[in-house]
Amino acid sequence: MPWLSVTIFLPLIGVPILLFWRGIPDPVARGVALLASTTTFVVSLGLLGAFDASTPGYQLVERATWVRSIGLQYLVGVDGVSLFLVMLTTLIIPIGILASGSVTRNVRLFMACSLLLETAVLGAFLSLDLLLFFVFFEALLFPMYLLIGMWGSGRRVYAAVKFFLFTMFGSAFLLVAILFLFSRASGQFGRGTFELTKLQHLSLPPATERWLFLAFFIAFAVKVPLVPLHTWLPDAHTEAPTKGSIILAALLLKTGTYGLIRFNLVLFPEASHYFANAVSILALVGIIYGAIVAMMQSDLKRLIAYSSVSHLGFVVLGIFAFTQQGMSGGVLQMVNHGISTGALFLLVGLLYDRTHTRQLDELGGLADITPLLAGSFMVAALSSIGLPGLNNFVGEFLVILGTFTANRAFGVLAATGVVLGAIYLLWAYQRTWHGPPNERYRGLADLSRVEITAVAPLLVVMLVLGVYPKLLLDRINPTTNKIVQQVQVVRHDQRLLARGGG
Amino acid sequence: MNPTIDYHAILPELILSGTLVVVLVVDVFLRPPRKWLAMPLSFAGVLAAFVATLTLIGADRTTFGGSYHVDPFAVLFKVFFLSVAMIVLFLSLRYFREGRYYQGEYYFLLLSSVLGCVMMPSSRDLLMLFISLELVSAPAFLIAAFRKNDPRSNEAGLKFFLIGVLSSAVMLYGMSLIYGVTGSTNLYEIGKALAGHLGGQETLALAAILFVVTGFAFKVSAFPFQFWAPDTYEGAPVPVTAFLASASKAAGFTGLLQLMFVAFIHQAAFWGPVFAAFSIFTMSIGNLVALQQRQAVRLLAYSSIAQAGYMLLPFALAGHGVDKEAFAAAVTYILIYAIMNLGAFAVVVAVSRKSSALLIADFAGLMRNAPLLALAMTIFMVSLAGVPPTAGFWGKFFVFRAGIDAGGIGIALAVVMVVNSVISLFYYLAIPRQMILVEGPEEPMRSPALVTFVAALAAAAVIAVFVYPDLIAHFPPLSTLVGS
Amino acid sequence: MIRLPLVLFFSAVLFSTGVYGVLARRNGVLVLMSIELMLNAVNVNLVAFSQYVRDIGGQVFALFVIAVAAAEVGIGLAIVILIFRNRESINVDEVSLLKW
Repeated sequence: MPWLSVTIFLPLIGVPILLFWRGIPDPVARGVALLASTTTFVVSLGLLGAFDASTPGYQLVERATWVRSIGLQYLVGVDGVSLFLVMLTTLIIPIGILASGSVTRNVRLFMACSLLLETAVLGAFLSLDLLLFFVFFEALLFPMYLLIGMWGSGRRVYAAVKFFLFTMFGSAFLLVAILFLFSRASGQFGRGTFELTKLQHLSLPPATERWLFLAFFIAFAVKVPLVPLHTWLPDAHTEAPTKGSIILAALLLKTGTYGLIRFNLVLFPEASHYFANAVSILALVGIIYGAIVAMMQSDLKRLIAYSSVSHLGFVVLGIFAFTQQGMSGGVLQMVNHGISTGALFLLVGLLYDRTHTRQLDELGGLADITPLLAGSFMVAALSSIGLPGLNNFVGEFLVILGTFTANRAFGVLAATGVVLGAIYLLWAYQRTWHGPPNERYRGLADLSRVEITAVAPLLVVMLVLGVYPKLLLDRINPTTNKIVQQVQVVRHDQRLLARGGG
Repeated sequence: MNPTIDYHAILPELILSGTLVVVLVVDVFLRPPRKWLAMPLSFAGVLAAFVATLTLIGADRTTFGGSYHVDPFAVLFKVFFLSVAMIVLFLSLRYFREGRYYQGEYYFLLLSSVLGCVMMPSSRDLLMLFISLELVSAPAFLIAAFRKNDPRSNEAGLKFFLIGVLSSAVMLYGMSLIYGVTGSTNLYEIGKALAGHLGGQETLALAAILFVVTGFAFKVSAFPFQFWAPDTYEGAPVPVTAFLASASKAAGFTGLLQLMFVAFIHQAAFWGPVFAAFSIFTMSIGNLVALQQRQAVRLLAYSSIAQAGYMLLPFALAGHGVDKEAFAAAVTYILIYAIMNLGAFAVVVAVSRKSSALLIADFAGLMRNAPLLALAMTIFMVSLAGVPPTAGFWGKFFVFRAGIDAGGIGIALAVVMVVNSVISLFYYLAIPRQMILVEGPEEPMRSPALVTFVAALAAAAVIAVFVYPDLIAHFPPLSTLVGS
Repeated sequence: MIRLPLVLFFSAVLFSTGVYGVLARRNGVLVLMSIELMLNAVNVNLVAFSQYVRDIGGQVFALFVIAVAAAEVGIGLAIVILIFRNRESINVDEVSLLKW
């Protein structure tokens, strides 16, 4: 069974129904979208079963010629890095659909956008052809733009346009770099190709490689986002509807970190080493800056948005440590951040549906009124902080360990980021749920059954991954091991060259 | 000498000529309420010409002593121009029927212009090129001024006319000099003559090329000869603008392609940089001015100037060893551009029934009032900006690829174009923003079935070409016009 | 026999006069006449070259130019008359409703 293609394109089945059935009642539209996305999740479980944990390379590869005249292929495959990102995607989308009960306008378009997004994100995670990746990578912009712009709050149009332009700016240079690689490939192999595994063997002069690294890096750094390219993120997150925030945090940001591993490291190992310190410093700045700014926020959603900047800094730091622990930790953290922050955004959304405010000084004392919501938030916040026994702990530990062995100072600085994270999240928790209860909120309803169905899976996953991270690490490690080795070999070669030359 | 004429090769042109005479005569005998029947009549003629063109696929025929050549390049563009003509006819029916216009004359003039377009890609002789170009332009001057009582339309016609005639005169002067230097008007022979030793006439030849290029630069609205386009586009009736922005512009480009890649190719080192400058300035000026527009047609006009800049880019790559690729990129871009642009104008025609001022603000709330049109328009705007999943992405892609393969200046040009594409997003997104994100008055909009059909068809085509770009990209490389 | 450079010089002067007229004149009809001058410069060129390279093509070209020029002036006059009817002036500078 072509697991990957089915997973990628299954959500699309719902789209024509939603777009062209004009009079579709809202509940049916929700049902269609939910059905399409849950089926995708079930299929992706099959994919998980079909995945062979012991092989490090790409598996379940499917290949077809798409455009012969330019050597563009439909080429998809999965490995330890992408596997759990795919699982995360298929899990998050149905949860987001469940949680979007507050959307009442243009429901069918909303659902269609969600499904389009799912396909685009899955395609981006699974493409092994650079141009194919680019196409999916770009295709997710417009549905996201609509999601923020149509169903967001406050300055949604501004946020949507800002989001679109920032990411377009980044990816425009990515396209030029991809075409440049293609052109070089036709020079060296006699035939142009966009295939990742072939382009890996391209020999490029160091200066060219560095330029290309930067072009790729900017595109992904905007998505991650790394300071100073992060300014779109707080706006987009804050104004997006709950579901939009969840998708942004859990999935879109991951396309950036994923791209760094999949393309920057693999295609330009030499340049990756060359820029490793600079990138690590940017990541550290992100960790600490994100945490400090998060502390100063008065809007709960914005606070979580900045916490994302901080958390994603960990991921990038881990990747660019070039140690196996760091890399595995980075990959694990991508998944963990998706779940924890996704859950936090979901819960904040549910809270907002009730209180109609996210201002910390207007909230307070809600733990007595909505105990289930408060408890769930507690678990998610603790997970995000990195409490042992919950999912984030293992990832952060691995990242810090990996960084520490590579560069002590970086490791120590990263550890302070964890402390800061604990401060702002606990503080936010306390201000939201404890203290004197506000009279206004008497009689607010606690989580409904549908909402519990949306929240519970995330909490369960947090616990399971916290207790038994081996489930993921067993499948991630072979791949990260291989990538780290590839990169190390290049460094080794360079040293030899330098020694030989001197 | 008794030259034999290959009637099969010129069958589409003959059918069109016949049709336009018939339209003019029949119009006289129709009573006013039935004047619109000129449209189905014209449509039948265009359709017949279309079928006749299809029989020429794969042909390679020359007639009129080598000055008229029907080859894959020509057939590709003939099919394209006739398709555009059909679409413009669809858009015109309600527009001209509901306004008080001379319908018969309009269709007659439109068909004449189409005839010129169809002749253009086959013209391999300076004289033929000149006649085709005039046949495209002269009727267009009149239909641009067709809203007789509207001073804005008068002005559109006058500006278009003055610039058009001036540019033809400059171009003709260049042509006369080229004839003097090479002793021939046939493009292939000019190419041969210019490849040889020119002696002291080198400078004269270069000056002549510059004159001809300037003449065409007016036609395709390249900077600094672009200023007529926004005024003319805004003032002319919207279906006419759609025609000018797609077919008439493409006709200019086909003429330019033949001249540059056949007749003047050996001087590429001289005119390549000229086109590089044209391209950079045209796209940058077009995009920057478009940012400030509030009127939809003017926005599309400046966008079409910017797009002309993208189409000029492959010309700048001639002589860098990627001629065939650059040529194919230019042709592909022209075709893809025409599809998305026509679609956008179809939506504008529909909206123009509601508000004739056509401000961008008038698009507010279209998503609710006419979801199909709004969806289509969104697709066109995204496509014009070159973002997947739309055809526009491939258009830009092929141009980028040619640029990067050329290396050196090509890469620089590609980067400039990338920056411009990002800038263009600002204004292309303005219309979807109005349609989708801004709440407008709730008043269901009824658009003519034919117009909706055109919009839906174009939107489907834009998506289809994205999914399978070889639909269009397959043909240009088959052209035998440019040697590899 | 008149030498070629002299003819070319003459046509260049004629052409330049036409360009100047188009750019500087405000009266619509005079602009049309200036364009006519430019086209006639082209004709002079074509005929002279035709004689010089011993090829009849140039003269045929000139005939076509004359015919097309006549048609163009016809169209031009039609548009100028239209404008005169609507605004009682044929001053081309005043036609400037459309800006930016």
